[in-house]
Amino acid sequence: MTTQTEPARPAPVPDEVSAPYFEGARDGKLMLMRCLACGAWRFPARDRCDRCWSTETEWAQASGEGTLFSFVLMHQVYHPAFAREVPYNVAVVELAEGIRLTTNIVDCPNEAIHIGMPVQAVFEPVSDTVALPKFRPARG
Amino acid sequence: MSHLSGKYAIVGVGETDYSRGSGRSTRALGVQALRKAMLDAGLDRHGIDGMLSYHGGDSTDSTAIASDLGIRLNFYMDCSGGGSSTEALIGIAIGVIEAGMCRTVAIFRAMNGFTGVRIGGTGVRAAASVGGGALFTRLYGQSSAAQTFAPSFMRHMYEYGTTSEQVAHVKVAHSKHAAANPKALMKTPVTIDDVLNSRWITKPLHLLDCCLETDNATAIIVTSMERARDLRHTPARILGVAGRVSKPRVDYHWVHGPITRVAGYYAKDIVFGMAGIGPEEVDITGSYDAFTFTTMLQLEEYGFCPKGEGGAYVSSGIIELGGKRPNNTSGGHLCEGYTHGMSMVIENVRQLRGQADDYCPGWAEGRHSYDYRPGGCRQVRNPTITMNLGWANPATGSALILTNT
Ligand SMILES: [Zn+2]
Repeated sequence: MTTQTEPARPAPVPDEVSAPYFEGARDGKLMLMRCLACGAWRFPARDRCDRCWSTETEWAQASGEGTLFSFVLMHQVYHPAFAREVPYNVAVVELAEGIRLTTNIVDCPNEAIHIGMPVQAVFEPVSDTVALPKFRPARG
Repeated sequence: MSHLSGKYAIVGVGETDYSRGSGRSTRALGVQALRKAMLDAGLDRHGIDGMLSYHGGDSTDSTAIASDLGIRLNFYMDCSGGGSSTEALIGIAIGVIEAGMCRTVAIFRAMNGFTGVRIGGTGVRAAASVGGGALFTRLYGQSSAAQTFAPSFMRHMYEYGTTSEQVAHVKVAHSKHAAANPKALMKTPVTIDDVLNSRWITKPLHLLDCCLETDNATAIIVTSMERARDLRHTPARILGVAGRVSKPRVDYHWVHGPITRVAGYYAKDIVFGMAGIGPEEVDITGSYDAFTFTTMLQLEEYGFCPKGEGGAYVSSGIIELGGKRPNNTSGGHLCEGYTHGMSMVIENVRQLRGQADDYCPGWAEGRHSYDYRPGGCRQVRNPTITMNLGWANPATGSALILTNT
């Protein structure tokens, strides 16, 4: 049950570079930047390719498939809004496209989380305009 | 070997008490630490003309510290940063003296790390809205150093079979060292079980895998060997230095390359190359222990053991006093107190002088029992080369090699 005094979860305020990532998540798509000049995927969103320096960029839909690369389980409360969620996991997922990102593993007990497990993107609504990509264990 | 290797030295060291309630400003702490370092060197207020400090928006600038001690400066700079800064600023000090900009540089760090801005704290960092780079971290509950560093340890366990018990030996060793250090905040030796049974902070890190947030200030003084010869102590000659050497991605270190690799992978050739020595010639290490595993990762990356064997190395007894190459003989950040790296350089300077300030009655004259039981001696027998491995995060590190010969 939520009380009035409970601190709010940090709310994303996407900027002009990162907005398509969060808007794509709202539409159920994992969107990543890809360089039109050299083809390199890039993450996090930023306006220039760090390999070839081109700003010619497209947003392309990633497969959403990945592998758990590493993770930790948070027991200490840092942000007060996460106080009721400890212990919660913070995961690094390596996508099939080769990109790694910070996320949470959902639909899986913390004890069952293990490096190397195949995972699939899911999207958790945060507001009318924004959703967060998270990952659940991939099903056969 | 670089032409500047051995031409500069650390000639003075000093610090305040390590406490969890200094009751004083960082300005007062910084002034006290620097004054002690100057007295240690045998320098009066005319003997310092350069000043460097580092901070995380939590300290006092050189201009205030110098003014309070009546020092007129020919050079100063206060830069942003925490761990890995000490060694980097020592390199800068050599550079500005070599350039003729000044003659003797004091470096300080002053912080109320427990009662002021806490690295592991909550309130001041818990912004309600998140933008910029934090969009890809904090929304998922990732914000602390433990959370961003520990994925490297988790991956190391997966790739190399490293265990929590192995790295707990780092805390056990450092706690034994701190038991012979009157300055240490935590003087009680702990066991492997104490570490493993302490509560989780960020699994795989227990409470006792984490360093001690501390109020303190520390200071060191760097000058040329020509000047050093006229001062009070045996100079700690700087054989090699590497500063804030970085992996390809520092902003989100876990997105690039092997995350079990730390910045020492790139720094080791710089620092050993300048010094003209290798790891086998080092008698004492000071490997930054923000957490137990950071010491382990750095020792293996700098080549004190093969890659992947850091767990075996730190649990072998080698890193304890009486072992082949003790690490953090003061107790380090895990037990003496957290100073963002400078305390470990101070300790190695004292070790090279034979003047570790332990419980031996004659320590100040270099007389030691070499009895490493708690409450006794922590001086290593006749060390000639020490090394510091500074750490900002897995992707940025610094290193320093000192000698008394
Ligand atoms: Zn490109």
